[in-house]
Parts: sequence; C-alpha cells; structure tokens
Amino acid sequence: MSRAPTPLDRRIALALGILTFVVLWATERAVGFVRDESVYFAAAEQFARWWAVLFHRPASALSDPVITQAFDFNHEHPMLMKSLYGWSHALFAQTLGWVRPAAGFRLPAFAVAALIPTLLHLWGSVLWGRRAGLFAALCFFLAPRHFFNAHLSCFDMPVAAMWLLVVYLFWRAEEDVRFAPWTGLAFGLALATKHNAFFLPVVLTPFGVLAAWRAAGPEGRNTLLGMGRAALAFVGYLALLLVVQGRDGLVQSWQLLSPQTFGLVALVASLAVLALRLRQRDPAAFVRLAPLVAMGLLGPVVFYVHWPWLWYHPVDRLAWYFDFHATHVHYAWTYFGDVLRAPPFPLAYVFVVTALTLPVSLVLPMTAGLVRTWVLNLGDLVPAIGRRFGRGGQTEWLLGVNALFSILLISHPEVPHFGGVKHWLPSMPFLALLAGREFDRAAAGLSSALRLTARRGTLASVALGGLVLLPAFTLTVHVHPYGTSAYGELAGGIPGAASLGLQRQFWSNNVTGVLPWIDANSRPGTRVWLHEVNGLSFRDYQRNEMLRKDVIPAGGPEDADLAAVQYHQEFREQEVQVWQAFGTWVPSTGLYLDETPQVVVYRRSAP
Amino acid sequence: MNETAHRLRTAAPALALMLVALFGLGFQLQLPRAFPSDGDYRAVAGALAAARAPGDVVLLHPWWTERARLFLPPDLPVVGYLGDTTDDLLEHPRIWVLANERLPRTPDTDFRRNFLPDRRQAGEPRQLGPLTLTPYRNGRARKVALSLIDAFDRLEISVEGPGETAAQPCRRSGARMQCPFDASVEVAWHEVLYQPVRCLYVLPPSGGRTLSLKLPEAPAAEALLLEAGITWEHAWIPGRSDVLLRLESPAGTSISKIPGGREGFVRTETPAVAPGPWTLRITTANPHDRQTCVRLRALGGPP
Repeated sequence: MSRAPTPLDRRIALALGILTFVVLWATERAVGFVRDESVYFAAAEQFARWWAVLFHRPASALSDPVITQAFDFNHEHPMLMKSLYGWSHALFAQTLGWVRPAAGFRLPAFAVAALIPTLLHLWGSVLWGRRAGLFAALCFFLAPRHFFNAHLSCFDMPVAAMWLLVVYLFWRAEEDVRFAPWTGLAFGLALATKHNAFFLPVVLTPFGVLAAWRAAGPEGRNTLLGMGRAALAFVGYLALLLVVQGRDGLVQSWQLLSPQTFGLVALVASLAVLALRLRQRDPAAFVRLAPLVAMGLLGPVVFYVHWPWLWYHPVDRLAWYFDFHATHVHYAWTYFGDVLRAPPFPLAYVFVVTALTLPVSLVLPMTAGLVRTWVLNLGDLVPAIGRRFGRGGQTEWLLGVNALFSILLISHPEVPHFGGVKHWLPSMPFLALLAGREFDRAAAGLSSALRLTARRGTLASVALGGLVLLPAFTLTVHVHPYGTSAYGELAGGIPGAASLGLQRQFWSNNVTGVLPWIDANSRPGTRVWLHEVNGLSFRDYQRNEMLRKDVIPAGGPEDADLAAVQYHQEFREQEVQVWQAFGTWVPSTGLYLDETPQVVVYRRSAP
Repeated sequence: MNETAHRLRTAAPALALMLVALFGLGFQLQLPRAFPSDGDYRAVAGALAAARAPGDVVLLHPWWTERARLFLPPDLPVVGYLGDTTDDLLEHPRIWVLANERLPRTPDTDFRRNFLPDRRQAGEPRQLGPLTLTPYRNGRARKVALSLIDAFDRLEISVEGPGETAAQPCRRSGARMQCPFDASVEVAWHEVLYQPVRCLYVLPPSGGRTLSLKLPEAPAAEALLLEAGITWEHAWIPGRSDVLLRLESPAGTSISKIPGGREGFVRTETPAVAPGPWTLRITTANPHDRQTCVRLRALGGPP
C-alpha cells in the first residue's frame, strides 16, 4: 500500500486546513489574552524590532550584547513561533493595518494549527479511507479545549502540530527516502517550537532502528551494530564525565574546546560515517534509518541557527533552558476538591481529565480506537491475541505509542500537572486519528447491516458523522470563548465539574466576559484590578479595544475602585480580601457560565 | 434469526456511537432547565426578605452556586464554600438552605452526611424555578455571649519575652494594632481552608517572642471556643513552624497548637468559665508564613 494520499484527498486536506484557518480567524476576536500570551506578544514585538536592527545595522545586531538584550526576555521558549507572531504583527497589523494587533500576532498560530486537520486527513485517508480522515480532522477541532487553544499565540497547539508533522513525515520517509530531509527539517522546527519535541527522538528512534534492522542484510546489520556501539560509547563517556565532574561541573566546564565537545563531535562524526557506509552497502536499511539520520543532523542545526540567544553561549544557555523546564514550578490545580500544589500528583489525573473535558461522543471513539490499537499491538507480541484479534504492525505501533506518549509523560507523578489538557496535546491528534478508524468501521458496519447502496451508504455516513460530531460542536459553540472552563457530559458539564471540585478555569482569559460591564460602569481614571490578569494583558485589552483606555490598572483591591476576581479554589483569599477592602460581599456582576462563578466583579462601596 | 443477530452485531458500533451522541445531546438540551432565571433569584430574595429573622443565614447547595449573592439581601449572610456542609454555623439558629438539585452531580451525599445531623426542617420548602428554599432549625447553634473580634478595642496587646524582658505594648495604627518585632493584629476578613472568616488576623512576632492579647473583663460562659488557623496558601507550605496558643481564663489554662502544614482551623473548647480576664498568648519559632486567623468566642446554651 502506498503511503501517498490521492490527489483528491490532498485537495480535501488543503480545504480542511483553509477552513480551520478561516474559522479560527473568524472566532478569534472574543478570545481573551491568556497570561502567557501577552508575554509572547511582547516578546514577539521585541524580536521583530531586532530583525529591523539586523536589516539596518547588521554588524550591531549580530553582536553578543545586542542579541542578549533583544532575546533575553522570555528565553524560556525558543523563537520560531514568537518570530512568526512578531513578523505577522509587524506586517498585517502595524504596516498594512489590516487586522487588530492581537489578530496580527495570532495569524501564524491559526496557520500552524490548521496543519493538524490537514495532516489528519492526509494520513487517515491513506490508512483507512476518506471517511476516517475526515472524521479524524473534524473531531480533533470540535473538542472545545482544542478549539480554544488553537486560537492562542502560544506553543501548545503549534507543538502538537509539529509533533504530528514530524511523525507523519517520518512515516512517509520510511517508505520514500525523499521525505527524510523534510523529516529532519520538521524536527528542527519542532525543536524550535517547544521543548516537548526533544522527546521525539525517544519515540521515533526505536521505530527507525528496528525497521532498518529488519530490512538490513548481514553487512547492514554490522554497520547498525557499529552505530549502536558508537552511541553506547558516547553514553559511557558522558557518564564518566558526569562521575568525574558532577552535573554542575559538566555544564560549567563545557566550552568549544573541551572533552564534552570532543565527545559530541566524535559521536556525530562516527554516526555520519557509519550512516554513509550503510547507504553504500545496504540501501534498503538506510532508507529506514534515513529519517533518523536527518533528524540527528538537521534538527540541532535548525534549533541552534534559529535562536540567536544561543549563538554566543550555546552550552550554558541550553543548560539553563533544560534546567528551567526540568525543574518547572508547580502551579496549584484543583482536582476532585483537592488543591494539588506539589508532587506526587495522582497517577490517573491525565486520563481522568482527558475523559472529563472531552465531549462524550468523542471520548468513545477515541477510547475504542486506542484500545483496538493496543490489542492489535499486543497481537504482535502474544500469538494467541494475534490469532484472535489480528496483529498491529509498525504503523499501528507508531500510532499507539504517539497516542499515549505525551499522556504517559505528563502522568508521571513528579511532572507539573497544571494547564488543563494543553500539556499533553501532542497525543490528541493521534487519538483523533484512531477515532477516525472507529468511525469508519462503525459507518461501514451500518451500511452493511442496512444493505445500503454506495450512494445511500455515503449519505448514512454523513448523517452518522453529523450526529456523532453534533454534541461536540454544540459544546464548543456554547463554551466559546471560555475554553479553559469546558467540561464534557461525563463530568456533568461545567456545573457538574464544579460540584466534583475540578479546576474551574485558568490563564485569566475569561475576564473578557466582564469587560463590557466594566467599560460601561467606569469613569475616566477608574482604578480597575483585574485579578490574575498581568500588566501586559491589561495593556493588550486596551490596545485591542476590549477595555476602555482611560481606566487605570490597580495593583490589588486596596487601591482599586473595581475588582474582577477570577474564581480559583487556591485564590479564595483574594476574593475575601476584596470583601475586606470594599466593605461588601455582594458582587455587582460576574461571568457565570452555566451558573458557575468564573469572574466575579465588585465595586467599592461609596464612602 | 442468525441473520438479524449478525446485522445487529455489524451495526453495533454505529448504534453505540449514536446512543452516546444522543446522550450527549440530551444532556446539553436538558441542562438549561437547571439554571435559575434572575426572576427565580429575585423571588427567593423576596421570600427571604419577608420571612427572615435576626441570626438567619443562607447556605448554598451546591456550595458554589454563588450567583445568588447578586440578588439576596445584602445584609443577610450567605455561606457557600467548599466544605461548608461541615460548618456548625453556631451563631445562626436558623439556616435557609437554597438548593438547586437539578444541577448535575449535586453533592447530596455530602449534604446528608455533614449538614443534616442536628438540623431539622423548620418549615415547608418553597420551589422557585429550579431552586428550593428550605428553612432548618440549627441544632448546633449556641448563644454567643462575646466574641473577641467585637472586643477588639478593649484588648491589651503586647509582645512578651523571650526570657524575663518586659512586655512591649502595641500601638494602634489605623484599624490595626502595630506591634514591635513585626507583629500586628487587626479584625479582617480572611480565608482559612476556603472558608471566609472575619477574625483576628494576627502576624506573630519574630525571634520566638509571644504576642499577648488580654481582655481584662469577660463574661461568664458555658464554654470558650478557640479557633485558629493559618490563612490562605500559607497553611499548606511544608517546613513551617508550629503556632502555639495558650489561653488563660478563669476556667484554667488550655494549650493548643497549629502544626506546620496544617490547613483549616484547630478548635479547642474549654469547660464553663466564670467572669474574669482572658489572655491569649500566641508564639511561633518563625513567623514566616504564619499569618493566623483567630476566633475566640464565649458560648452559652442553645439560643
């Protein structure tokens, strides 16, 4: 079976991508600025200014001090998406004036998010047919939290798209070596998007190596063993340095000419030589390994080159970057009435939250698809299961591993658990893909059971798809633009989740629900405290005409005339402080989603 | 028959998807029936305004249905916080439970287990849209002869020790008593394990010193109830010092402790006490993050 989609499916995929982009753009205006997003807006603007300096005074722009000054802000995350946000804002909002500033930043986010339905259809249609591809593409974006995250100039949805892109290209490259360089390039872009991508080699290396091993002859296997020995030697060498120098010493003594650099260069050189030898002596095995080779060569290069902040101090700044994410602070998160503040976190958390936040009509096919995949994969390992249920094969394993990897990674009790579903988003397109297969099987079964003609079978499939996707669609429409508050039917919707003691919302963007009231009830100079809304977001609401420009941000309830408090279990004290400062416990208004308090507004009592 | 079974089996996945989708749609369609209108809340407010008596309180069920605050009489206390079903509400002889049992996953078991004991229904429930307003006689209510927060202006507050050094008095600064060694006391609203409480908000002194709060004259009571807890997120932080509370009254001396990392109130009840002075001493080895909310009340019998 060829892994290339048909021309018609390519066009459908393109149409799905365009549709996604247009829908995201059309629904963007109502979406508030999450806490991180305004930081990324500011960073993007700053980086865009560096590009202007580069154009006008390249020697100055490329100097270490100027680079440090320009890129030090928000160096927790690499540059790819922030650069795109900054360029887009500079072009479409500042220069052409076609869109408001927020939309200017967000357009690249829409474009990258639109890759997901495109890729899901390309892949799904080849694996199980057009019906499966279409369902996969639509069901991913009809999950309310996915739809919400796709609007943001953040990195969670982009890295989910990049992850999917890399795995898809890897899969294509296993058949057609021309895709290998693209896999490497995509991996570099994924690294340049968010740190999740550093786990991609962990996921893909076993597949590439195993496929190459199976395809290889005796000479090829010898070469592969040589590559394995080189990798092991590097690990041993690194372990030795670690023992001798310690973790800090290893990082601090890493310079251009140092044992660490020698080890790395030796590894890359030996792997490159062995890869070339494999290509000459066993081309079939090389094809299987080629995407990994490309990832190994191109990924780090793209990552390094795209981020000027690394250019002069690659080792210590990379070390800081990894250390920051490895030791990330734990934000409080409410889960069944408990405020989780520190590890260990509940093992089932990610699975439970996924099931409770998705519409139930998507939970079923996704779960069924995941179970089927792993039963088939088990069939590869246990002959009795294989005889009874069938066997998986490489693609099935690839889908199954990717559908679970991010979920299992975040499930580790020591990994930060805040952020709703966004931290395991890279798993979700794969679950959507597997849901597509389940839908296809269901629709085929229905047509067969009813003995429908092909034409009527198609109509039945459309009707079935419409019915299955309708609850997700209505839920998404209902909760938009408050996606961080969304809960599915299994939780009992938003009110059920409140009674279960689940996190009500996060990231502060729900404040948009009360901004019109604040606008109407403020005077010039009114001091407004928007709880949890950082100063940059306050500025962004004002410059995007979502909050009147003549109100002043207050630092807390003590110096505010109006206070909009975000309902978080861990922030109850701050609402009580408003009672104390304002002399009343009676709100003036609020954003109540399906009765649940989300943002509660108080006005200071007249003296 | 076999043919029918085969066709059903073949169509089963589609039927399962359809059933689940219909369940989802049904859920979404019926959910708005659980949401009270503004008119429903106004009707509740009207009913409460007509029937309320001094000492009444409104308890929300489920606890998070706080939209009611927008409509209820502003001087009528409204209680709604995670864990409120265990609140004795001892200053309130009558509790109006404003319930919305049409909401999904309403925590009825918790309500029955924690709220209902010692409470009996004191009138017919009124149905106002999806809301039910039911009065309960609060069997846990007690007469409160005196609360320390009401006697704040009469308190003699000072910092003592360590050792035999003389006590250093605190001085009023606005509504707050400002003390040496970074200590202070004021009456304020704060949160203790999600419960909004108006209490004596105490920042204990540094250096292992003791904050002393003395009420020279206090009435007789059947019991003194001392409640103390660390406010907000400071409570859970591990590795913080204990807070020791030593209460001296005509009934004797009682000592209680808020252990480091403890969330919620620590409660101590003394036996019957004669008229006389009360002295509460608060000490902690390290006052960092030991912002303490203290309530001390002289209790009588049922109201």
